[in-house]
This record gives sequence, structure tokens and C-alpha cells, in this order.
Amino acid sequence: MIEFREFLQFLVEFPELLRIPLAEWIDTAMSWLLINWAAAFDVIGDTILAILLNIERSLLWLPWTAIVVLVGVVAWGVMRLWWAGVIMAAFLILIGTFGYWDLAMMTLAIIISAVIISFSLGLPTGIIMARSNRFEAIIKPVLDAMQTMPSFVYLIPALMFFGLGKVPAVFATIIYAVPPVIRLTNVGIRQVPQSVIEAAKAFGANSRQILFEVQIPLAIPSIMVGINQTTMMALAMVVIASMIGARGLGLEVLLAINRIEVGRGFEAGLCIVLLAIMIDRMTHALAARQEKILTSEAKV
Amino acid sequence: MKDNAVSQWGKVGVELSKLLKILTLNVAQATHNLARRKDPIKDKTVSAKGKVRVEVHGLWKIFGSGTEQIIGSELQSESKETILEKTGCVVAVRGVSFKVKQGEFFVIMGLSGSGKSTLIRMLLRLIEPTAGEILIDGEDVCSYNERQLTKLRRHTTSMVFQHFGLLPHRNVIDNVAYGLKVRGVAKKKRYPSAQKVIETVGLKGWESYLPYALSGGMQQRVGLARALATDPEILLMDEPFSGLDPLIRREMQDELLDIQEKVKKTIIFVTHDLHEALKLGNRIAIMRDGGIIQIGTPEEVITAPIDAYVREFVKDATPARVLTARNIMEQPHILLYDWQGPGAALYILTTAKLDNAFLVNRAGKLLGLVTAERLKELIQKNSTEIADALEPDLPTCTPDTVVEDLFPLAASTLYPVPVVDDQGKLNGEIHTSTILVSMIQAKEAEEEEAVKEKEIAA
Ligand SMILES: Nc1ncnc2c1ncn2[C@@H]1O[C@H](COP(=O)(O)OP(=O)(O)OP(=O)(O)O)[C@@H](O)[C@H]1O
Ligand SMILES: [Mg+2]
Repeated sequence: MIEFREFLQFLVEFPELLRIPLAEWIDTAMSWLLINWAAAFDVIGDTILAILLNIERSLLWLPWTAIVVLVGVVAWGVMRLWWAGVIMAAFLILIGTFGYWDLAMMTLAIIISAVIISFSLGLPTGIIMARSNRFEAIIKPVLDAMQTMPSFVYLIPALMFFGLGKVPAVFATIIYAVPPVIRLTNVGIRQVPQSVIEAAKAFGANSRQILFEVQIPLAIPSIMVGINQTTMMALAMVVIASMIGARGLGLEVLLAINRIEVGRGFEAGLCIVLLAIMIDRMTHALAARQEKILTSEAKV
Repeated sequence: MKDNAVSQWGKVGVELSKLLKILTLNVAQATHNLARRKDPIKDKTVSAKGKVRVEVHGLWKIFGSGTEQIIGSELQSESKETILEKTGCVVAVRGVSFKVKQGEFFVIMGLSGSGKSTLIRMLLRLIEPTAGEILIDGEDVCSYNERQLTKLRRHTTSMVFQHFGLLPHRNVIDNVAYGLKVRGVAKKKRYPSAQKVIETVGLKGWESYLPYALSGGMQQRVGLARALATDPEILLMDEPFSGLDPLIRREMQDELLDIQEKVKKTIIFVTHDLHEALKLGNRIAIMRDGGIIQIGTPEEVITAPIDAYVREFVKDATPARVLTARNIMEQPHILLYDWQGPGAALYILTTAKLDNAFLVNRAGKLLGLVTAERLKELIQKNSTEIADALEPDLPTCTPDTVVEDLFPLAASTLYPVPVVDDQGKLNGEIHTSTILVSMIQAKEAEEEEAVKEKEIAA
């Protein structure tokens, strides 16, 4: 009788016996990594920090007028519209008038360094992926998982490897933002028309020449779109990354939420949105221009 | 008036087709039966002298998986459709063999889908052959490693693609100079050479444009220029003129012939245009369903089509304009006269470097054709009667014989066909090659007229 009730219990409530201790396994793996690969993490951390600090310092060192003019001219250059340059410059000035100039520059520094590192990791990965079907088959599900995972999750390994501070913030941002560059580099290279590659081959181009003179140049529009998306994703991580110690606009928003200061939160949030629009429009225009040159290719 | 003309044309057409049918049936049937026995066709038409540059033996390409099992099995001789149905594999090239000599202009002709592009690509291993052998300058290209292959592609050959394959991100001059760039030629050196070829193909002034700004025909010329810029010894051309209008097309053909004449390139040229093939080719290979079904000189292909398929091609060679023997006959270099003895006649022939000539009397009446060989026999027999040296069964035609009717005559003899008027006087002579050339010219004139008409209409 008692046995029967126990059996019922087993069916109704999930038995504790069937528990898989995944959390413990991961913890073990993490600490193993931390102990045995400490040197590697030090190197990674130092590199990230060096890049970040240099960018941050130069952004803060430059007079604001110089940056405003620079952004205006660059925007004008890539969008081919003089008023676009004026609007972008005005956005920057607006951020300054809210009193967030320095914080915006810190946020920008985090984004720029995350994008630079993402690009330099993502481009080679994407190229390898385009050249090896097997590698693509392995990497693709990983990328899918990375993009569907809630962004908070990346904070955990970042914290474990690097503690609190700017470095883990950039690290988490990179992990979150790198998939589009990889994916679109792969797609861009694979989309290069076979007829063009064949012609290059027929004239004796070796695989290095085909890669650098044909495939990569023709994949640039796609890669640009990837960079654009990566940048936007990096921006999306700004607030979340501030939870583990990234200073800047994100932290402002976070603090405002904690203290229920709606006005302050709105101001900082607006600044992030302005930054996002500026970066998006400029990288987008760059991608579109490349696209325009190449899409009218001989598609006979 | 117009109706009259039309019915006149109709009559001519009916007559023509009748004659052509008789000709082709008679001549072709014999060769046809012969040819059927040996399968796949061996290339025996190649001339004995000269160095072989490109040689292909039993080359197969089958797209799909498990393709090796098809070759050598009984499936091998099945039709393309049957193989596709049974195995899901597409036979693109089927056991093809041929040889191309140094300096030869070899044309591959066939309908769409007959495997021409696949074949020409395989020569450079842009497509890997399923089976067979490719020898370029005696070396087995199939066993080449990557480095050797690159060397061959850089220094010996170059290729024009049916679909151009231009680099869309490079401007015209960089596209044209691409072969040189790949070779590692410095910019300063490769630009002048590229510039020259650009002018040859008539694209001067377009150097800095990207391909998308060019029309299809212009892009095709960029592709052509790119292939010529590397000054290759072997040129592979896949329908390089198909997108050009008749005038430019003709210009390009002449240009190519000129180059061929001057620097003796070896050219393998794909086309599905018979007139182009007849104009350019030293030899023509006709493909059907992946196999070569006939190889021969333009004359052979025209006068002795091997089967209905080739006949279908050749039928197309009939120009609408009625040309007669009068229009195309030539004046003989020398004539022999009935009062000359065999010794004198032979002397005249040998000093003129000819081995035959027509014999006429004092009134210019044609008596027949005398050959050097027969003259020698006569001299050996100590005969003095030159009339004994006449070739029997000499076909003749009148000045009003239409060109199509000359084919059967030309096909039945090894010698020029004499043109004789109703008084029996010799007016001129006709060579088989002249017939072909005249037909091509007529066709071209027609095309040009069509273009002009279009322009006038517009
Ligand atoms: N990559 C491929 N995969 C499968 N089948 C192919 C492939 N390439 C060509 N084929 C097939 O091979 C056959 C020959 O094609 P190919 O392009 O050589 O013909 P072609 O003679 O050049 O025709 P066209 O005059 O239209 O250019 C066709 O039936 C085609 O469907
Ligand atoms: Mg083709």
C-alpha cells in the first residue's frame, strides 16, 4: 500500500533523484578553466583593456568641437547629403546639452572597441565558414544559440572570467554582438557568383588571390551590413553591461531605474537612442553605397 | 508583281530543298553507316603535319553522384534521357576525342545543351572530368597538381566565357589587365598592353567604367580583350561573339582571323552559328547530346553531313539570295590548249605549281580537264595525244546555275567545276571553298541589310 503511494508520488511530483546537476558541472568547468587558463584570460583581459582605454582616452582628450565637426563631415561624406551631416552633428551637440558628453564618450568607447574586436574575430571566422561546409555546420547552430540566448546570460561567464569592471562589460558585449559579422561574412562570400570565381580561376588566380581579389571585395556590402548589425547589438548591450561595471550612459539609465528618477532615465535613454541613430545611419549608408556599386554586376 | 516574285522564290525553294535532299541522302548514307560502327568517333581528320597542342581522349562528364559506375556499364550507350531517368545523372559530355594542331582554328558546334561549354571548361579543369584524358602539349592535364594547373592557366591558355565572368568591382581596364595582374606583371607594364587590346576591341574611352555601365555586347568585348591581353598560345572561346550585332560581330571575327593569321594562335572556339563556324574554322566538330558526331573541314561538313542532325544545321547555310555560278566563278590561272603536247603541258603545269588545268581548243571551247598525273602516264607510254590525258566524267555547270546546285557537283569531283556557256565555251571555274565563302558573304550582306533596315525604321 505504502509502495503504491510512493509510486504515485513519483508520477505526480518530479523526483529529486532525476536531477541533472548541470549547474555544478558548469561551475566545475569554469573553475577548471579559471585555474588552468588564467594566463590566457589575463592576456585577453589586458588586450581588451588596452584597446578600450586608448579609445576612451582619445575620445575624452579630443575637444568636443573637433568630434562634432568630425562626425558631421564623416556623415556628410558617407551619406552624400550635407544636411545629414548637420543633423548628426546636432544630435551630438544635443547629447552634450543634456550634460552627458563624457558619459556618451565612455559608452562610445565601449561600443567601438567591442565592434573592432568583433570584426577582427568575426571576419576570419566568417571566411573559414564560407570555405568549409563542415565548419559552417558546426558554427551555425552555435551562432543561432548565441543570438537566441537572453543577453543577461553572457554577464555570468564575463563576470567569472574577469570580475567586475569595463573588461567583462566589453567581453559580454562582444559575445552578444559578434554573430552578425560572422554570419554575413559567410553569406557574402558564398554569394559571390560562381561565374566570376571561375573566370578568375581560368586566368590562373590561386585561392589566395581569389579570396582577396574577388571574394572579399564582392562580399563587402554584406560584411558592411554585418558590421551595422553588430554595432546595433553592441548598443543594445549598453544598459545590461553596465550591471557588471561598465560606466557611461547605460549606468545612468540603470541608476535612474533603481532610484525611480524618470526624468534622468529619460535623458540618458534619449542619448543612447541618439547615438544609435547616428551609428546606424552612418554604417548603413556605407553598406548601401558598396551595395550599389556591386549589385548591378553582370548577372546574365 | 510582288506575288510573282514570291511564287518565283517559292519555286526556287522547292527545287533547292529537293536537290539538297538528294545530295545529302546519297552522300551521307554511306558515310553514316560507316560512322555508326565506330563509336565513339575517333578523330581521323586531323592533318598529319604540325605539332598537336590539345588532345582529348574519351572525355566524359556526368553531373550527379555515382557517376563512375555509368561509364563502362551498359548504361553508357543509352540516351541522355534514359540515363537521367534511371540514375538521376546528367550526361553533359560523352566520350569525346579530338586533336587540335598548333595554329589551328578548331570550332565546336552544337545546339543548346549539347555540352559545348562543359567540354571547353574541362580542358582547363574548371570542371573536373569524370573520365578520359586531356593532353596539352603532350602533358596530362588531369594529373596536374594545383601549381602546374595555375602555371598552365597563367601562361599558356586563356578563356572567353559565354557569360563573360567579368569582375564587377573592377573597371574595364583592370578587368582586361586581370590576367597580367594574376601573373604578377606590374601596373606600369600591364596597363599599356591592356590599353592596346581595349582599342582593338573598340572600347577606347570606356577604360574607367565598371562593367555594369556597359551593354551586354560591350561586356562581351571586355571578356574578349581580357583573354587577348595575356597573349596566350591557346585561346579557348565559348560563344564569344554571340551577343554582338552582325556588324561588330563580323569586325571581331575578322580581327580574330587577323590575329590568327599573324601570330598563329591555336584556337578552340564554341559557337552554335554555322556561318560563324564556316567562316572561322579550319575544322568543325559537331556535338549532339554530349558526343561529337562529326569532325571535318567546313567543306566536308557541308557537303557530307553525317546524319539528319548535321543536315539540319547545314540546311541553315542556304542563303535566301540566289547566287549563280556567274557571280562567284574565277578565271583559271592557266589553260592548256589542244595543240600542246603532253610534255609541254606538263611543263606548263609544273612551273605554275598546279596539278590540273582545263583543256580548251582554239575557239575557247572546253574539251576537258587534264591532270599532271595522267600526263606523266602518257609521257611514259610515249603517247602524244593530249586528249588521252582528260579526266573522265567531268561535271560542268552553266553561268546561271544557282549556288546550291553547285554543291552536288562540287561534291562529286576533286577538281574545280568548269563554267561552260551554251556554245560550250569555258567562262570560268568554281572552287568548293568559293561556294562556301560566297554563301557566307551573302548571309552577312543580308544581316547587314537587316540592320540598316532596322535603323531606317527607327
Ligand atoms: N553544374 C551542372 N550540374 C548539372 N548539370 C549540368 C551542369 N552544367 C551543365 N549541365 C548539363 O550539361 C548539359 C550541357 O550543358 P552545357 O552548358 O555544356 O551546354 P552548351 O552546349 O554549352 O549549351 P549552350 O549552347 O546553351 O551554352 C546540359 O544538359 C546541362 O543541363
Ligand atoms: Mg554554353
